[in-house]
Amino acid sequence: MSPLSGIPAYSSGMMPRIAPLPGNDVAELPSQLPSAAPAAGSDFSSMLGKMVSEVNAKQMDASQSVNALQSGQNVPLHQAVISMEEASVSFQLMVEVRNRLMDSYQEIMRMQI
Amino acid sequence: MIQILSGIQNTSASLDAERTRLDVISQNIANAHTTHDVDGKPYQRRVVVFENELNNAMNGDTAGLSTMHVAKIARDSRPPTKVYDPGNPEADAKGMVSMPNINIHEEMADLISASRTFEANLAVVKNARSMAMQTLAIGRH
Amino acid sequence: MIEALFNQPNYLSAKKTLDAVALRSEAIANNLNNLETPGYKRVDLAPDFEKELARATTSNDSEQIASLKPTLAVDATSVPSSKDGNSVHLEDELMKMNQNAMTHALETQLVSGTLAKMRLAITGHA
Repeated sequence: MSPLSGIPAYSSGMMPRIAPLPGNDVAELPSQLPSAAPAAGSDFSSMLGKMVSEVNAKQMDASQSVNALQSGQNVPLHQAVISMEEASVSFQLMVEVRNRLMDSYQEIMRMQI
Repeated sequence: MIQILSGIQNTSASLDAERTRLDVISQNIANAHTTHDVDGKPYQRRVVVFENELNNAMNGDTAGLSTMHVAKIARDSRPPTKVYDPGNPEADAKGMVSMPNINIHEEMADLISASRTFEANLAVVKNARSMAMQTLAIGRH
Repeated sequence: MIEALFNQPNYLSAKKTLDAVALRSEAIANNLNNLETPGYKRVDLAPDFEKELARATTSNDSEQIASLKPTLAVDATSVPSSKDGNSVHLEDELMKMNQNAMTHALETQLVSGTLAKMRLAITGHA
């Protein structure tokens, strides 16, 4: 996480707050999703940390369901399948967020002072 | 083993039981005129007795479900029917022959009801399989 | 954030209905197994589950929906279909089985569709 936590130092010290890139699809998620725009610099890295641990929890959930199913326990099939799909969607979300962050980081680095 | 098809663990027991019943019925029909069985008496109609036992509840939701199985194959205790047939070597002094107490119509009705139950249970298995295939297709593009 | 993504009332309601459908198919299978058993009373979903689910869905209460749990109970409204007290009617049971299969198809499609929409929103393509 250390390269990413350097971003707040740039944003607060040198330039205006970074706006989300145009076409950032994360913003088009269902409307009840709480707003993902960071208020201050330090919240952002903790928010990312929280997201990573939530995605991890979903993956653990899914692998637990599948293991229970394979060992013959009484797990309904649809629960195992749905938790696998949800884990996959969450993981995709995390990967996209990471991609956007890398893109914006590189964009910043390219900027001429 | 993996329990992919939900709720059909007891169906195979039921299919088995119905098949036994079909076997017994066909044996009854085949022996409808057997005046001399292995024990010397006229053939006695066989009847299948089903029994039910509550499943051990694995989790709270499925308590109350029960498995059925064949308890025993009993003999129908009704007395054999007597038919007047003096020419038959089995006839007694009055010319009456003891025939098995098998009513063909009753057996046919039983046969139809056993086949219906058998087919209904097959439909259950088919349905469970198609539901499982649909479930596995969740999220597939 | 991830939890909020999956806490939409309609999506949760579809998942709960799938739970109920799976349980119901078990009950119907059991009823058909015992079609000829003397004295057997048919089982089905406990009736208050559907009412609770409908109420929670119209009020859009995600927590309430997530806390519901379907259960099976002996059907108190069934009447015996034969002298031996067996209360399973074959045609009725087959109709319910077909209806259950259709509900399953519908809910599966809803869940699949929601997941596909999420993927589309996240990645910009299917």
